[in-house]
Amino acid sequence: MNVIELKNVEKVYNDSEIKVHAVRGVDLTFEQGEFTAIVGPSGSGKTTLLNMLGGLDKPTSGEIIIGGTKVSELKGSKLIDFRLHNIGFVFQSYNLIPVLSAKENVEFIMEMQGVPSKQRYLRAKELLESVGLGDRLDSRPNKLSGGQQQRVAVARALASKPKFILADEPTANLDTKSTENLLDIMEKLNHDAGMTFIFSTHDQRVVNKAHRVILLEDGVVTSDERQTPHQ
Amino acid sequence: MNLLKIAWRNLWRNKRRTAITASSILFAVFFAIIMRAQQLGSYGHMIKNAIESYSGFIQIQHENYQDDPSLENTFDCPEELISNLEKVQGVKAVVPRVETFAMTSTGTLTKGTLVIGIDPEKEQKLSNPENLLVRYRITPDVIARLKEKNQIPKEIIDKLNGLINNSYTSTGTIAMNLEIDKELNKEYLDIIASASQFPGKYLTKDDIGVLVSDRLSKYLIISIGDTLVLMGQGFHGSTAAGLYPVRGIVKFANPELDNKLIYMTLPVAQSFASLGSNVTTIAINLNDNSDEGMIAMQATLKGMILSKELTVKTWKEFNKILMQQIDSDNQTGKAFLALLYFIIFFGIFGTVLMMIHERYHEFGVVVSIGMKKTKLMFIIVFEMFFIGVIGVLSGMLISLPVLYYYHFNPYRLTGDMAQIIEDMGFEAIMPLAWIDTYILWQGFVVILMVILSCIYPLRKVMKLKESEALRA
Ligand SMILES: Nc1ncnc2c1ncn2[C@@H]1O[C@H](COP(=O)(O)OP(=O)(O)OP(=O)(O)O)[C@@H](O)[C@H]1O
Ligand SMILES: [Mg+2]
Repeated sequence: MNVIELKNVEKVYNDSEIKVHAVRGVDLTFEQGEFTAIVGPSGSGKTTLLNMLGGLDKPTSGEIIIGGTKVSELKGSKLIDFRLHNIGFVFQSYNLIPVLSAKENVEFIMEMQGVPSKQRYLRAKELLESVGLGDRLDSRPNKLSGGQQQRVAVARALASKPKFILADEPTANLDTKSTENLLDIMEKLNHDAGMTFIFSTHDQRVVNKAHRVILLEDGVVTSDERQTPHQ
Repeated sequence: MNLLKIAWRNLWRNKRRTAITASSILFAVFFAIIMRAQQLGSYGHMIKNAIESYSGFIQIQHENYQDDPSLENTFDCPEELISNLEKVQGVKAVVPRVETFAMTSTGTLTKGTLVIGIDPEKEQKLSNPENLLVRYRITPDVIARLKEKNQIPKEIIDKLNGLINNSYTSTGTIAMNLEIDKELNKEYLDIIASASQFPGKYLTKDDIGVLVSDRLSKYLIISIGDTLVLMGQGFHGSTAAGLYPVRGIVKFANPELDNKLIYMTLPVAQSFASLGSNVTTIAINLNDNSDEGMIAMQATLKGMILSKELTVKTWKEFNKILMQQIDSDNQTGKAFLALLYFIIFFGIFGTVLMMIHERYHEFGVVVSIGMKKTKLMFIIVFEMFFIGVIGVLSGMLISLPVLYYYHFNPYRLTGDMAQIIEDMGFEAIMPLAWIDTYILWQGFVVILMVILSCIYPLRKVMKLKESEALRA
């Protein structure tokens, strides 16, 4: 089943003097359970594409359909609500609310969804345990390492039971060990729970773990291949 | 974990900024309150001096008296009118008076004077001249006697030398002038008091004598028991003249009055000016001195007074000069406050801007993952509101002891400033107003500033673009 469809998506940044054609005529589909890496040189349009996929930015033309909803046409609080219930986000860094503990950060998103507090607590605990942070429930982000913070972000993304998780260079600020650790967790969640991940990266070792690799060059998809993950 | 909790914790995130912002609000509120208290206190002081302890809050006059304060515009005041007025609920004092001018002379020296006829008993409830009686006077004689006795330390004698010719109504003021403690130096003070004692009595009900103001008495070089010659014009152009023994000297804080005032009993003044039972004014003080109370009383009294030629005026009507003085000073004061608020506004606004700038990325994250902008705005407003409330409440709190202290121990001005104020006819003190709703107003305005300063950041959140904020 196609979860996500991009139809002839274009993005032109017009605000500065020079027009930037960041994404050009992208047609893509993603299916439930995929584990996809988007790669490409700096400035190739990865972030722009992921932002549009996540409803954080609007395509200049073309359509983005997620689970039957034309996300590219949603606006304002409807769009925010759509994101809350359908998409999980992991950003490159500073993902978490600094004044909330790991557990509270995870609960926060469920609270916005209206999940009762008892359930929130149990699920947050379970999710943090699943990313290996069962012993850091009450730590504030500034007391966690970069890798730990990213794992909390993954737990938070999962907490809302999204259709898929978008991660723009989630490992960019992590050392090798944390990168591996985070990837293992994502892979496991993909494998065990069938969670769909779409992430961008510059890191060849991260690319190697992906089941599908989309190469973006100058805003154009120049290659889209499935692979067997390897080390 | 709700929004309030997040907002609350955010406050402690940048403790220093929160503290700086809250304390700048604190100081602003504190200064605003003190400034306002000083303004209101000085109006209160003026009103107390000029109105409460002299003219009364309400006066009954002949309708033409204000424009032409001559004896022709006096009115008949039978005993019955006074007693009826005294029976009105809320009336504290009813004091009939005759005011006229006379040349006062000792034979060699003459001066124009203001003659006031009073009912000695009733007047005690209003201007109470008995309190103003000079009881001590420092003369070279007094000092010579003290030196002889050799009981007073030299430095105090030296200071006394600077006070020659000063008159005092109490030993407290002597101590103050000598800059010595009343309790610690009680022994010396008693000696000085008994050496400098000055005779003089208040008027009795059917006294034929007069009380003379201190400066006037010094100008005329008179003392108790001397006789004064008063001459002037009486009712309907008759000649007024009489001889009056001096019973006492009274000291006014207001130098203008101190230079020219003579008190006599009402019947003596009426017969001096051939007024029969006419008076120039009936001064009335009230239990409730508020504007509302005063206006209500004015209406009540107007209903009581049947004679068409009489009017009932509030002090704001019969003392327009004081009224205007207060009004214009009030405007200036408010302009200063506005300036102060304006400065605070930019202080708060700066904090808000900095806060938004620092947290823009974070705002991008929370909106991206699904937080409604309205909730985010709520957090921001609550944070600022909270800082505002902390600042305002603590500002109010620290102002209270200051208000308390300086209300009861008013700051006494010295030097030229004091001279200027005394020349205007007031005692040179600066009392602060008592705690009242004006304090709440200062707080209210500052909270309003806080809310106003949130408008820009809130707009910024409204227009927040996730992809942009995330890049921040
Ligand atoms: N808000 C913007 N306004 C103008 N141009 C932009 C904006 N955002 C991105 N661009 C431009 O669009 C192009 C694609 O940028 P994008 O950030 O999507 O690339 P990227 O592949 O994510 O790069 P990187 O690997 O460095 O993160 C770049 O040329 C960039 O300069
Ligand atoms: Mg990027």
